[in-house]
Amino acid sequence: MLGIEHVTVDFDGLRAVDDVSFEVAEGQVVGLIGPNGAGKTTLFNVVSGLVIPTRGRVRLAGEDVARLGPAERSRRGLGRTFQVVKPFGGLSVLDNVVVGALTRGQRVGEARETAAGILTRLGLERFATTTARSLPLALRKRLEVARALSTGARLLLLDEIMGGLNPTEVNETLDLLESLRAEGLTFLVIEHNMHAIMRVAEHVVVINQGVRIAEGTPEEVTQHPEVVAAYLGEPHESA
Amino acid sequence: MSGATPSTARRAVRAVGLVLLLALLLAVPALLDSAYWLDLAVMVLVWAALASAWNISAGYAGGLSLGHAAFFGVGAYTAVLLFNELGVSPWLGMLVGAVLAGLLGALLGVITFRLKGPFFVLATLAFGFVVHILAVNWRGLTRGAAGLTLPFDGGPQNMLFADLSTYWYVGLGLVALVLGVSLWIERSRLGYYLVALREDEDAARSLGVRVVGCKVIAAAISAALTAVAGTFYATFIQYIDPASTTQFELSVQIALVAIVGGMGTALGPLLGAVIVIPLGEVLRASLGGGPALAVYGLLLVVIVLTAPNGLIAGLRRVGRRVGVATGVVR
Amino acid sequence: MPLDLTLQILTSGLLLGGLYALLAVGLTLIFGVLRVVNFAHAEFMMLGMFGAYWLWALWGIDPYLSIFIVVPGVFLLGVLTDRLVIQRSIGAPEVTVVFATLGVSIFLQNAALTAWSADIRSVTTPYGSAVVELGSVRISVPMLVSFVVALAFATGLWLFLNRTMFGKAIQAVAQNRDAAALMGIDVGRVYLVTYSVAVAAAGAMGVLIAPLFSVYPRVGLSYIVTVFVIVVLGGLGSVVGAVIAALLVGVIESVVGFLLGTAWAELAYFLVFLAVLVVRPQGLLGRRGAEVYQ
Repeated sequence: MLGIEHVTVDFDGLRAVDDVSFEVAEGQVVGLIGPNGAGKTTLFNVVSGLVIPTRGRVRLAGEDVARLGPAERSRRGLGRTFQVVKPFGGLSVLDNVVVGALTRGQRVGEARETAAGILTRLGLERFATTTARSLPLALRKRLEVARALSTGARLLLLDEIMGGLNPTEVNETLDLLESLRAEGLTFLVIEHNMHAIMRVAEHVVVINQGVRIAEGTPEEVTQHPEVVAAYLGEPHESA
Repeated sequence: MSGATPSTARRAVRAVGLVLLLALLLAVPALLDSAYWLDLAVMVLVWAALASAWNISAGYAGGLSLGHAAFFGVGAYTAVLLFNELGVSPWLGMLVGAVLAGLLGALLGVITFRLKGPFFVLATLAFGFVVHILAVNWRGLTRGAAGLTLPFDGGPQNMLFADLSTYWYVGLGLVALVLGVSLWIERSRLGYYLVALREDEDAARSLGVRVVGCKVIAAAISAALTAVAGTFYATFIQYIDPASTTQFELSVQIALVAIVGGMGTALGPLLGAVIVIPLGEVLRASLGGGPALAVYGLLLVVIVLTAPNGLIAGLRRVGRRVGVATGVVR
Repeated sequence: MPLDLTLQILTSGLLLGGLYALLAVGLTLIFGVLRVVNFAHAEFMMLGMFGAYWLWALWGIDPYLSIFIVVPGVFLLGVLTDRLVIQRSIGAPEVTVVFATLGVSIFLQNAALTAWSADIRSVTTPYGSAVVELGSVRISVPMLVSFVVALAFATGLWLFLNRTMFGKAIQAVAQNRDAAALMGIDVGRVYLVTYSVAVAAAGAMGVLIAPLFSVYPRVGLSYIVTVFVIVVLGGLGSVVGAVIAALLVGVIESVVGFLLGTAWAELAYFLVFLAVLVVRPQGLLGRRGAEVYQ
């Protein structure tokens, strides 16, 4: 579904991502973890097309997408959320989601129905007419997910959608991920909440200072000496 | 583009209001029996069309242009030159001007779509100056600062009318055209995309919105409609020169009218024209051109600092309050 | 072209560039620190010109003397403008940031028009047309004085920014407003000083060119656009870039103007300007991404 091959990103002489490669198979949930500043979000930007890698390439469903911008990648089934949320602040919550539904080719009327359906599924229907800017942060994070789903994406990149949520909300989000996965969607998930990662991800990639240091099942990576070292001093809610 | 479906009472109020407004607009030539006021009323229409056309690329798509006089000039000069040199009717010249301006707008869109904030503003400003310098110095074509006159020998088939009231009705048609396009955009796929791009470009792109296409289309539509207003202005005044059609101040005033009224809405720019243009004229008549423009400057500062969404936002709030008070709106 | 003529044209260009630099340095500093494009910048120059004119016309005070009265006056106007308009537009929507200073520009231009009419005035001084000859090259004395003052101001500003605590505070704010505020820097005061000093420099330029050029309310318009070209070319926010670009534009204007006439020279540099914006919007020395608001 997604292939990341030898991706390297340099910013002003600083290496943010260093020769990272891994695969995400269709239907999988893959966790991408690492300390702050490890290069996780940069890698997401490379995959979604917002950052052009210095070297390496990205394959979506087998196709090299190097020459495609974010819009074209979205139209090939890639959806994403932003860690620092990016709602269309002046628009209503519903209209935020309508935009994505329109890009799959739906007419405005259909798109509004699709969007309303997604809002209901995510428990946002009460806020349909609320201006996105005035939503509390937790709900804006959920709006990010709603928008990513609206395009009909088959592969979703979720960037810390559980940060700042309370345990009940985390559980709701995990349930949602599981039900979406049952529908055949594929996920690459950045998460700081290790408990959440352990529950949903069957495969975890760990990067530190731009370098992939470990890969495997959640159990395997948490035993990995380099991972332990990277996280040393950083208290995490390991299972 | 959002909101609940209006209640029946609200709809009825709206329908009655619309009919009354339409009747009033059609009766304007009868109500304003002095040529001076009717003349001013037609200019309000010109500015309403201009501000509204500017709003399509600036208000919806967020590209604050300070070069729109260029498109106005293209519309005016194209029609006048085609008529004077080749005898082509300004009706047709208007279409040619619109297509030319649309192409220029698209070209400008292609080269500036990446620019943000002040860089975009300065690029449009420079573009406006390029066209102005050409209008002043390409004397073989434009006769430079001397300007061009439209000989009155046409009649309606040449967009030249004997009485002011006909200009008023044609001007109404022009405003209806621009308003119609604005309303269509608001409700269309393009409108959603433009507003999404304005609010957050990265998020919009990641949702599959194609930046270049959307911005270029918006720029082209906006430029073409501005040119149509330029042609209408030329046939109305029957004299054009760079100072009245391509000058930087004109670009500023187009933006000013839209901003004071309220950008990003279909009705805001029209409201802006209705308020700003007569105000300017009254001030000019009583105090002179300098003070009138000084007031424009102050007005612009006060509006952008205290009400960046323009007067239409305030009017809406008042309207809602009246609605609530009278029980029409809950 | 004969050598003498070439040298003459290059010298005139450099001197002209020096004048532009005095405006451009302030404009680019305001952008770098406040993230505001000061459309009203050349209006403060115009006010400086009128200040010099009236002090000369009414009381016969020489511009080189009245500069010590006019510049503090323009500085105070800068303080007033900063307090009333600029500080209120910081962090506001883009339309506010762009159009607030444009409104100030329209207001000042037309207030001047109202007060002093559109008449074209000039200051006549004994040295107005004085020249020194350097070999075959003739140099206008007032031009040379303005050139020296401009370079001195730019150098002083550079030293101030790099060698003093307050200058470093200004740079910190330019780098990252929020971080600077967290470190205890009074951001509002930095804005106030930056804006007022920059427009006072524009006022100083106005006084210095009063003996050379006509004084009228719309005089700013013919400068501001050139100065925009310069600051973008030098990289919005870069003081050194602005000086280099100002000298460059002065020379280009002088050369192209001689070869093709001023109108076409103007056209040429707008086209170059558009090309620079499209190809390298960060300018020759600017940082990439400077055009994005924080």
